[in-house]
Amino acid sequence: MGIRRFAILGTVALGTSLAAFAANAEDVTISVWSLDRDIQPAPNLIKDFNKLNTGIKVEYRQIQFDDVVSEAMRAYSTGQAPDIIAVDNPEHALFSSRGAFLDLTDMIAKSSVVKAENYFPGPLASVTWEGKYYGIPKATNTIALYYNKDMFKAKGLDPNKPPQTWDELVEAARKLTDPAANVYGLAFSAKANEEGTFQFLPWAQMAGGGYDNINTEGAVKALDTWKTIIDEKLASPDSLTRGQWDSTGTFNSGNAAMAISGPWELDRMIQEAKFDWGVALLPVPDIGAERSSAMGDFNWAIFSSTDHPEEAFKVLEYFVSQDDRMFKDFGQLPARSDVAIPPTGQPLKDAALKVFLEQLKYAKPRGPHPEWPKISKAIQDAIQAALTGQMSSKEALDQAAEKIKAVLG
Amino acid sequence: MKRILASVTDGKGFDIGLVLLPLAFLFAMSGLPLVYNVVMSFQEVDMFSLGSIVRPFVGLKNYVDLFAQPETRPILLNTALFVSASIAGQFLIGFGLALFFWMNFPGASWLRGLFLVSWVMPGLVVGAIWNWILSGDFGVLNFFLRETGVIEGNIFWRSDPNYSLWAVIIANIWLGTSFNMILLSVGLSGIPKDLYEAAELDGANALQRFFTITLPMMRSTIGAIVALGLIFTLQQFDLFAGITSGGPNNSSNVTQYWAWDLSFRQYDFAKGATISVIMIVFVMLASVVYVRSTRHEVRG
Repeated sequence: MGIRRFAILGTVALGTSLAAFAANAEDVTISVWSLDRDIQPAPNLIKDFNKLNTGIKVEYRQIQFDDVVSEAMRAYSTGQAPDIIAVDNPEHALFSSRGAFLDLTDMIAKSSVVKAENYFPGPLASVTWEGKYYGIPKATNTIALYYNKDMFKAKGLDPNKPPQTWDELVEAARKLTDPAANVYGLAFSAKANEEGTFQFLPWAQMAGGGYDNINTEGAVKALDTWKTIIDEKLASPDSLTRGQWDSTGTFNSGNAAMAISGPWELDRMIQEAKFDWGVALLPVPDIGAERSSAMGDFNWAIFSSTDHPEEAFKVLEYFVSQDDRMFKDFGQLPARSDVAIPPTGQPLKDAALKVFLEQLKYAKPRGPHPEWPKISKAIQDAIQAALTGQMSSKEALDQAAEKIKAVLG
Repeated sequence: MKRILASVTDGKGFDIGLVLLPLAFLFAMSGLPLVYNVVMSFQEVDMFSLGSIVRPFVGLKNYVDLFAQPETRPILLNTALFVSASIAGQFLIGFGLALFFWMNFPGASWLRGLFLVSWVMPGLVVGAIWNWILSGDFGVLNFFLRETGVIEGNIFWRSDPNYSLWAVIIANIWLGTSFNMILLSVGLSGIPKDLYEAAELDGANALQRFFTITLPMMRSTIGAIVALGLIFTLQQFDLFAGITSGGPNNSSNVTQYWAWDLSFRQYDFAKGATISVIMIVFVMLASVVYVRSTRHEVRG
């Protein structure tokens, strides 16, 4: 019995797999790599796409965050690159500048789905290299100021008037800091990795600096402000070695009254934070000063080595056509200004979203520059040298500017 | 040709083949990457030429550039301090524990086995745990030191440049002590008991017995442990990734972590390779010590 049943099952399985093979024999296979897990966009969109039977079959492979670039490089240099990949936006230029990614400018011009003008300028700039588009922004995010309204009330601050300027932020942090209760005024990350650059660069940009002129007066003032916050212990000294996720964790647990972080915290905060909180735009140096923010998240790109550029672009067009599902189904913000995000029914989350969407208008990409990691490292070292008191802010940023100049050539 | 074939069957060639095979394997598995690494340190390498062997030759430029960087000196000094402090700590505590368990009280071997837990734990897990223990605001270590009155305010082990390297050293000593203890225990048990009996009859006290019998008899074991310790600490990477990421401002950065950071975070593979070459020289020195101290053991 058992054996016969096995034999029948085996025949049926063989038959169906042969049938499936026959049906797909004409299909073009497109391979996609990204770091999205099963609850995130890529694998789900691919599943939906494959159901449409367009004659294009998409295969998905999940890669780990730390491996994206090295894995892609190795695959590309040995001729095994996938057709489509998702890369972190500051690393996009690295590939575009070396011709590893396909120039999509003409395809985008002809496309009825992908329109360059629909995108926020920041994410769009990150896929641009020398005036051409080498990718399509997949999603976007930025940072803003979370604050604990209950603590604001308790310390006599107006919970509806979060700090607007740097001075107000420091002043509020002073009032909110309460060492006896283990409460710091502010939580942020000055870690020696991309997160530190991600958090500091907006401050420099708001004051007229940037990665290519990191030692301007405004940037020095920005770093001095950070130094004041660390020196007066308005933020934990461990901000220097703690990432954004862990830093914001102290806000959720009531050990920090304000936190600078991104929308990726929203779902966790709603679960963990047992208090009333709000989100405000990043404080600026002075009222009326230029706003700026950091821009995060990934871009889609097609490798120039692909055998099926047309089909690969069709797959990307499908992804783009599903952008209105990005927030509802996957909690990610589409990088587009023309996609309306419907309310989620959670008032705190919806209010926060409005602020993040406003902040996104000012988001600037890091770079784009093919040697971004080196530029970033110079900035991280400067932040940490100043915050630990080994150099003055001016000296540290001067040194960073010199290192960056060498990279920029 | 016939002679060669015959030599295989008569045994002599077979023996040579037996030696050549593993040698070839060893060369392919560790020799070639080593050579490749040295070659890479003399070339200009970026991520897209990573797969090819033929690349622009730049001579000693990578070495010159490396030593011109302001962080090179402090990182080399950090490495020296990390290695010597880690080895000293691991060895002294390990030796103390080995002597303690050597007294053979009830349950000694069982307890000694428990110490191995730290050795079998993956480095990244150890790093994550010590990351919490050493946390400035809520870390257990600070709590303990505060309650016992050793310190007044919290020490920010990971974020204060005066302590950050020591934070990793403390974790590394914890990680390596049990290995030292086990090797030293084996060494101790190899000393013939009658030596001590004879010494005791002659009236030597415990301290004299230790310095005239135990230490000299352990010489080769100690040499091997120090050499292995040097190799293991120069390899230590996970703890840096888990606790300080080399920060703040490189105050806890060491060559092995820096090589990784340059290669895989800044994509400067040539410089990463250059640092590795410098490290290889040190590890080779350690290997010589190790081989010299262990060769007496193979007496057949």
